Amino acid sequence: MGGNQSLPKITPQDRAILDLKLQRDKLRQYQKKIQVVLDREHAIAKAHLAAGQKDRAIIALRRRKYQQSLLLKTDGQLEHLEQLVSTIEFSLVEVSVLHGLKQGNEVLREIHKEMNLEAVEKLLEETSEAREYQKEIGEMLSNNLTLDEEDAVQAELRELQAQQESQIPQAIDMPDAPTTELIAKEPAAEAESAERTKVPVAA
Amino acid sequence: MTNVMSLSTHTTASGFLLPSIHSAPPFFTQQPNPGTQAIAIEQWTRLILTYARHRRLFVLRVEDAETTGNDWDEILRNERINRKLLPPYLSHILSAMVAKDLAVYEPPRQTRSVLLYWRSPDEWAETLHSWATATGQLNTILTFYDITDPPIESELTGIPIPLLRKAISILGKTGRAQMIGVADGEGVRLFAGGR
Repeated sequence: MGGNQSLPKITPQDRAILDLKLQRDKLRQYQKKIQVVLDREHAIAKAHLAAGQKDRAIIALRRRKYQQSLLLKTDGQLEHLEQLVSTIEFSLVEVSVLHGLKQGNEVLREIHKEMNLEAVEKLLEETSEAREYQKEIGEMLSNNLTLDEEDAVQAELRELQAQQESQIPQAIDMPDAPTTELIAKEPAAEAESAERTKVPVAA
Repeated sequence: MTNVMSLSTHTTASGFLLPSIHSAPPFFTQQPNPGTQAIAIEQWTRLILTYARHRRLFVLRVEDAETTGNDWDEILRNERINRKLLPPYLSHILSAMVAKDLAVYEPPRQTRSVLLYWRSPDEWAETLHSWATATGQLNTILTFYDITDPPIESELTGIPIPLLRKAISILGKTGRAQMIGVADGEGVRLFAGGR
């Protein structure tokens, strides 16, 4: 399998972690089992008591108590195991963080090696030289227009201006102000328009 | 089959909607006509798989048709029409399901018990991988118990170990899982991996 080569090696640490986790699982399963026993002893004690056998009920309850103490003990052990597992896993994370930092540092150093001051200075110098050169070329080009060409530019400008002016007068072509009297008709027209606006609202 | 349309669906105590065909008495007996029989088996297969998904059941045994009071009562029997699926018919259905890769005999080399594939092993592999990704458990060593019995219930809670193994080996082929074995048992480590 080609894919297998990319998988990390299984280290003794990995095996140790797996061992711990398996132990933890066993404890958890053991706890489950004890819980079942506890419930059963409780039922047995109840049944004995119902049958009037007090002694037997007490024995069952004693057994139950003992199992309960076992459960408590396993709780403590489980806590220890889980702590240990967490600590180990956290340390592994720390190791990988350290490794990451180390690599980052290395990369940074490599980059700095390529970016020494002299090279930067030289580069900046070259850039400014190139900019000067570019500027010179620009100046030479702009001064190089002949008189004829300059005339043509001016003519184009005039033409554009003329176009703009010819558009403006059309916009200002306003209607004449009314000269007749309007007052008498106005209220009727207003009422009519008010009605017209009302109709769609009602619908 | 003309009267099937008049039969009604039924919702079981577990909230499963039984199809109307489940109320048809002939559905519970093997049909002499091979065409009818093939359709009936197809219906049974679908019913079994959807019910299994609904209840998250992984195993179906011929024995489940022989006894009452098990997980499969709701579909293997229909008290309303006084019918039940007989063990030989169930055994026949199971073999048809195995032939179609919708189930597999588990343990192998017997024909009385199957592991149901209401999700194919490939789909389970993806489920496992996305669960590990979502819960931030990539690159961590997990025991099988971590997966089948997680502190926060997941889609993988209660998955049978043989099915889990299949899913892991599928992920292993694309370099996304690695098995680790020690004297006391086994574990697995999952990786992000490219496809």
